[in-house]
Order: sequence, then structure tokens, then C-alpha cells
Amino acid sequence: MDTRAVLDHEFTVAAYVAVWVIQLGYVAFLVAKWRAEKSVERQNAGHSR
Amino acid sequence: MKKLAIGLYAAVVAALMVWGFYQAIYVAPDEATMHEVQRIFYYHVPIAMLCFLFFAISLLGSIAYLAWRRSRPSLANAGDAWALSAAEVGVVYCTVVLVTGPLWGRRAWGIWWTWDWRLTTTLVLWLIYVSYLLLRRFAAGPQMQTLAAVLGIFGALDVPIVYMSNRWWRTQHPAPVFGGDADSGIKDPTMLAAFGWNVLAWFAWGALILLLRYQLERRHQKNAALEAQEALKSLV
Repeated sequence: MDTRAVLDHEFTVAAYVAVWVIQLGYVAFLVAKWRAEKSVERQNAGHSR
Repeated sequence: MKKLAIGLYAAVVAALMVWGFYQAIYVAPDEATMHEVQRIFYYHVPIAMLCFLFFAISLLGSIAYLAWRRSRPSLANAGDAWALSAAEVGVVYCTVVLVTGPLWGRRAWGIWWTWDWRLTTTLVLWLIYVSYLLLRRFAAGPQMQTLAAVLGIFGALDVPIVYMSNRWWRTQHPAPVFGGDADSGIKDPTMLAAFGWNVLAWFAWGALILLLRYQLERRHQKNAALEAQEALKSLV
């Protein structure tokens, strides 16, 4: 494999990794937000009792 | 039942993702001049197309909020939740475009970035919607949603400019894949199929995270309304 092909491969892999880091990072943010809302709901239920 | 439907849909999305990846990496042939690095195209272009779709949904949500905020508040709140959710997913997709584009450009052009019309207008679009999200996160008070809706509409005006930029002006960015001149487009059927599968997979993924984000925002609105009621009760 020549240097050009190796670099092409590395850049392609880097791009695909970046895509999934960004997308899964957003999913992690959604999960954290979901947990925070759940905790607010529990607090609200506690107050209304 | 709802959880089962979401689980089944998530399984279909995962299968589409694996199939799209397989098509892009193992089935589509190497492009003649750019070779392997051209495979970034199978993520970069579908995600760029879909980012326009999410900003269009955000635009409709913002218009719905402004139109119904006094006459039909429950519909206006739903519109506001769509506007916020779609803007957030749109920013995620636009971020992917702005990261994968320079990675491709470095190998194809020898530079990471150039202030060309397509790249600059895309960056401006991203900045407008990031400012929209910052406004939603840090501003408070009754006018916040209205201001955000106006900014959302203003931001969407940049979408047709981004789309037309490499048609109106001479740019370093490649010619449009679709809707360009007679020479544009994907000629190889295997490449076209790989591209199509990836558009479908990223659309399905985007729809899934958009629906989850919308549900979450509706839940947040419900909790905020309950908290406001509790606060009023404690005052009386």
C-alpha cells in the first residue's frame, strides 16, 4: 500500500468515527436529559401527595 | 405497545445502518480520481441533504408557534416542541457535515477549509441554529419562545442560499450531485444504490432521534406547566 492509499484510508476511517462520535454523543445527551425529566416528575409527584 | 413499536423501529434503523455501511464501504467501487476517500461522500451528502429537511421542520414548527400562540396554545406548544427538536437534530447533522467535509477536502484539495460560498453559507447556517439553541437554553421569560421562533424562521432563510450557492456562484465545492447540469449526478448504478441506502438509513435514524427529542420536549413542557401551577398554589 502506498502512502497516499494509507492516508486516504485513515481519513475515511476518521470521518466515519467522527460521524458516530457526534451522533452517539447526542444520544447520550438525550438520555441524560430524559433522566433529568424523570427526576423532576418524581419530585412533582412527591409535592402533589 | 408504544415501547415495542419504538424498539422494532430502532431495530429496523440499526439494520439499515449496517446495510448502508456495507454498501458504502464494501460494495460501491472506488471512484477513479479520489479513490477510497470518496467514500466519505456516502455519509457527507445524505446527512447534508437531511440537515436541510430538519431545518425545514423547525421552520414549520416556528411558524405554527407564532400563528397559534394566542388562539390555540396547546397546538402552539406542539409546534414549538417540533421547532426546538428539529433545530437540535439539524445542528447535529450540520456538525457532521462541517466535520466530514474538511476531512474529505484535505485529501481532495490539499486544504482543510476555504472561504468558498458553499462552505461559508453552511457555517453561517450552523452558527445561526447554534445561537437559536443557546437562546433556548439561557434566555428566560415569556418572550423567549417568540424570539426563538423568529430566529428559527430567519435561520431557515439561509437554507435555500446554501442549496443554491454552488449553482449561483463559482465555488471550490464540487458541483451539485442532483439538480445540477447534464454532467452532474452519479452515473454508476452501484454507487447510486449505496448513496440511496445511506439516504434512507440516515433519514430513518434522524426520524428516530427527532421523535425521541420531541417526546422529551413535550414531557419537559408538561413538567414546567405543573411546576408553574404548584408555584401559583403556594402563593395563594
